[in-house]
Amino acid sequence: MDDIAISVKNLHKSFKLPTERAWGLKQAIFNRLKGIKGYKEQKVLNDISFDIHRGEFVGIVGRNGSGKSTLLKTLAKIYFPEKGSVEINGQLVPFIELGVGFNPDLTGRENVYLNGALLGFSNKEMDAMYDEIWRFAELEQFQDQKLKNYSSGMQVRLAFSIAIRAKGDILLLDEVLAVGDAAFQQKCNNYFASLHGNQTVILVTHDMGNVKKFCDRAILIEEGKIKLEGDPKEVAEAYSKLWD
Amino acid sequence: MHKLRFLNYITPSFQQPYQKYGKIEYMAIPNFVYKGNRVLLKELTKTDFKLRYQGSLLGYLWALLRPLMMFAILYVVFGQLLKFGGNIPHYPVYLLAGTTLWAFFTECTNQGIQAIVTRGELIRKICFPKYIVVVSATLTAVINLLINMVVVAIFALFDGIEPSWTWLLAPFVLFEFYCLALGVSFLFGAINVKYRDITSIWDVITQALFYAVPIIYPISMIIETSDIAAKVILLDPIAQVIQDFRYLVITPETITTWSYVGEGNPIIKFIPIIIVVVLLVWGSWYFRRKSKRFAEEI
Repeated sequence: MDDIAISVKNLHKSFKLPTERAWGLKQAIFNRLKGIKGYKEQKVLNDISFDIHRGEFVGIVGRNGSGKSTLLKTLAKIYFPEKGSVEINGQLVPFIELGVGFNPDLTGRENVYLNGALLGFSNKEMDAMYDEIWRFAELEQFQDQKLKNYSSGMQVRLAFSIAIRAKGDILLLDEVLAVGDAAFQQKCNNYFASLHGNQTVILVTHDMGNVKKFCDRAILIEEGKIKLEGDPKEVAEAYSKLWD
Repeated sequence: MHKLRFLNYITPSFQQPYQKYGKIEYMAIPNFVYKGNRVLLKELTKTDFKLRYQGSLLGYLWALLRPLMMFAILYVVFGQLLKFGGNIPHYPVYLLAGTTLWAFFTECTNQGIQAIVTRGELIRKICFPKYIVVVSATLTAVINLLINMVVVAIFALFDGIEPSWTWLLAPFVLFEFYCLALGVSFLFGAINVKYRDITSIWDVITQALFYAVPIIYPISMIIETSDIAAKVILLDPIAQVIQDFRYLVITPETITTWSYVGEGNPIIKFIPIIIVVVLLVWGSWYFRRKSKRFAEEI
């Protein structure tokens, strides 16, 4: 179908977790000789299926360790699926974490170009948007300082300002909403509100306020399975009931 | 079938164009042509290069000083005190060429093997072709080598060596050497992700190799003791490269694999080249196969 942006079918993923320090050659040989498997299979995603339509803003919620980050990383092609399929129509821009590759010993300027390259921008494109990145981050006067002299809030603001330049049909966001002080958060919220309706977005978050505010639909994941899918308000309610 | 479909989709920045059509691509040759990959390779190499000598007083000079200092020590001990040089013309330059090439090989392989682990942060968080990390780590060593080659050339001219057309062939030998280092980096780098012992094992191997290759001693000394041993040594691609380089740049009197090994059977002469090709192809194939799990295993 044409209007489907992401189609996930029967997705399974498990990790091999090493048992009792199978983390070396000696132990590996030892285990092989004794016929012990040096690892334990941990099922993280168990038969996940869903479709996301073009232009939809979908929230994925769940407790820590429920598998939502693994799901996002599988969508972003960082992990490969073990069984099942992931089909993506269009260009996908993953923000798994802000400021990937930021190096404290480089200056702000150098970090911007490095981070831009990691997001897939050419130097020319970076030159064109360079000033705007600093203006949005409100950090123009720190461009040539080393990143280690930035406060952590400043670093996140810079990273966020670069990340939102990435253009694609589908955005994957992993808890990057809450950055910076109140004024900057307002700016971010405006940005997300502007995406609403125009862009396919998948948002992984713990913040039910954001789910209710931005999402058209939400998916609750518990122990690697989809527990509930549908109206954001209902899902948010089900999420808060997980503790009762 | 499912896996095939998974490869279908594209991520924006580092798509590998041939996967668009759902064909799995089996070749181990990396896709340097794609622009996003090239930009990333350039930026990562630049970063590696800048960071390497940051915070040190002499900065980049260290890249030049290290091989020169190693040369100075070895020259005093083996050239002056032990008289290893014997009848070799231009022994100091001969020795300098050997130590420079050796320094390149150890730097290149050490950086290359460590690359995936040191860049684990990136690999866990974004999707891009993993070989870029290894290549960018080794390119710093290549830049250092090229600068050091200028030093070798200056030394050679001062020592009265006439530049000859054979100098133009030296880059081919250096290219072979880089292929060898890259093959080793891919193979051991991939294993190193799971078994960090590789770093220590490779340390020991390089220590042993240093003495197994005619860097400080001339190969003629080995020939006097054991002809077979000398022939075996010359089948090591590292020895072949170093001797070929000396032959091309310093003196045609150098004993090379081509002139000394495999008189009855010329195929034997090609063993070093075959080793390099096999290591590079096997190394990149193995790396490619393992790379899909790097994000989980680091």
